[in-house]
Amino acid sequence: MKNSTIILFSLVGIFFVSSSNAQHASDPSLIAEGAKLYSENCGRCHNARPASDYTKREWSVVMPHMREKAHMTGTESLAVEAFLNSTLTADVRNDTKDGTSQVQRTPQELIAQFGCQGCHVINGDGGNLGPTLDGVIESRGKEFVVKKLRDPKFNNASSAMPQFPMTDADIEAIISFFN
Amino acid sequence: MKKVSIASAMAAAISLSATTYVQAQEGSDLDIGRFAIAGYGDVSYVDQEGVNSNVESRFVPIFLFQLSEKIHIESELEFSIGADGETEVVMEYADIHYFLNDNTTITAGKFLLPFGQFGPNLHPSWINKLPSGPGLYGHGGNGSLAPLVPVMSDTGVNIRNSFKIGSSKLFTDFYVVSGPREEEEEIGGEAGEGGHGAIPEVGFEAGKGDNNSDKAFGGRVAYAFLPSIEVGYSFYNGAYSNDATLDYSASAIDFNWIGTYSSVRGEIIETSTDFLDEDDGEIDVFDRGGWYVQGSWQMRQLGKDVLNPFELVLRYSEINDALEGERWTFGVNYWLESSAAIKIAYEDTTLEDGDTDNRVFVQLAFGF
Repeated sequence: MKNSTIILFSLVGIFFVSSSNAQHASDPSLIAEGAKLYSENCGRCHNARPASDYTKREWSVVMPHMREKAHMTGTESLAVEAFLNSTLTADVRNDTKDGTSQVQRTPQELIAQFGCQGCHVINGDGGNLGPTLDGVIESRGKEFVVKKLRDPKFNNASSAMPQFPMTDADIEAIISFFN
Repeated sequence: MKKVSIASAMAAAISLSATTYVQAQEGSDLDIGRFAIAGYGDVSYVDQEGVNSNVESRFVPIFLFQLSEKIHIESELEFSIGADGETEVVMEYADIHYFLNDNTTITAGKFLLPFGQFGPNLHPSWINKLPSGPGLYGHGGNGSLAPLVPVMSDTGVNIRNSFKIGSSKLFTDFYVVSGPREEEEEIGGEAGEGGHGAIPEVGFEAGKGDNNSDKAFGGRVAYAFLPSIEVGYSFYNGAYSNDATLDYSASAIDFNWIGTYSSVRGEIIETSTDFLDEDDGEIDVFDRGGWYVQGSWQMRQLGKDVLNPFELVLRYSEINDALEGERWTFGVNYWLESSAAIKIAYEDTTLEDGDTDNRVFVQLAFGF
């Protein structure tokens, strides 16, 4: 009886304190939050996998499975899915329908949009899934960084870094920021 | 009595689900799918002294269905080749998740029990950083070391929660399942050093029907400072004898530290099994315990492109109290992709009687 009572009260208590507000996938902060959550959760058990491992539709079915495995909330799971999707298409850039950017974004905007800080330390703050980007031009050289942005797997086949939909102008802007 | 707890849990879940109005994907403009296949597999070569070297192969698909925004279904089947050359199929799990609200999920069916970290999360071969399991677990063959627990999977109901507390998180799982069962055979043979008799054989695989009306209950409570640290405590208790007079219980503490290039994880497990002392007819308790710790380091930290795919892994496992033994495992992994690796490992086991057992593994493991 004691065990039954403990279990019942635990469940009831848990349900009463469990509630949060839903967040829509189009929320601009969702992708940056998703990058951070991707960095924090995926590497807990296994190598983080790049978004290109599944299609958008497959991720929408895989993520509820990972929500359970990683103890993520529904909101967190949706944010990670939004981040993964953003790297598969130009959604994150809010491009026009014909694929052309309306305006060139600033480096800060690009870094925020691509969620770089979710996995890397920038200006002393960020995730630890990938190496710090502070001083990366000095330590690895501009050519390395450009190649990495264009093809994240060029020097490491198991890299989880997504191949972001960046234009040459985007890459130049980011390089100038790190310079 | 345990039936009361199941009925109470389900009643609470059903009545309170009416009060929940949050659904994370409601109104989502993401491209929603309905079905996906994930999973893993491996091809392993094992060389063990006194045993013919062997190549083994497994294919373990996971079928995932999204029935609705609130309901998700998953099933994992393991296909392997048996000793007689026949294809063996094992259903590791088949369950349904009901997302009660943003934090809470109810899982029903056959599922991997959230006991420790290795069983529910780390045992798939592309995730397990070594070709063999920690010596405490009996998953996939454990050489000469008598394991403490299997990777436990059983039928029942689980309630899972995740809470954010400042910058940290609290994870809880509480479940009720069919529970362990009495096996005909006993393993262990001779009395252990501590005066124990043969180890009572307890089966954990969910079968058709239960061998007693008693249900097992358990759970895991973990605290995490993500992305680096997670510490968990697990417990499990249930009657295993046909007349429900003999109990099996286990508890575990697990920890996980993750860095950019390295990781350290481990578990401490204690088990207690009731058995009937044939001399005095009294119920006695048989205790076994053990622990393992594993460290890994990715050589990409050195910044040399040629070394980027390599990872070094070291694990120590120890079992105490009965059928004691210790095991060192050294491994080198070459990552072909983020979810595919060639793993080479050497394992050195020393049993309490001084016997040694060495194994060499070469494994290609992949996740998909």
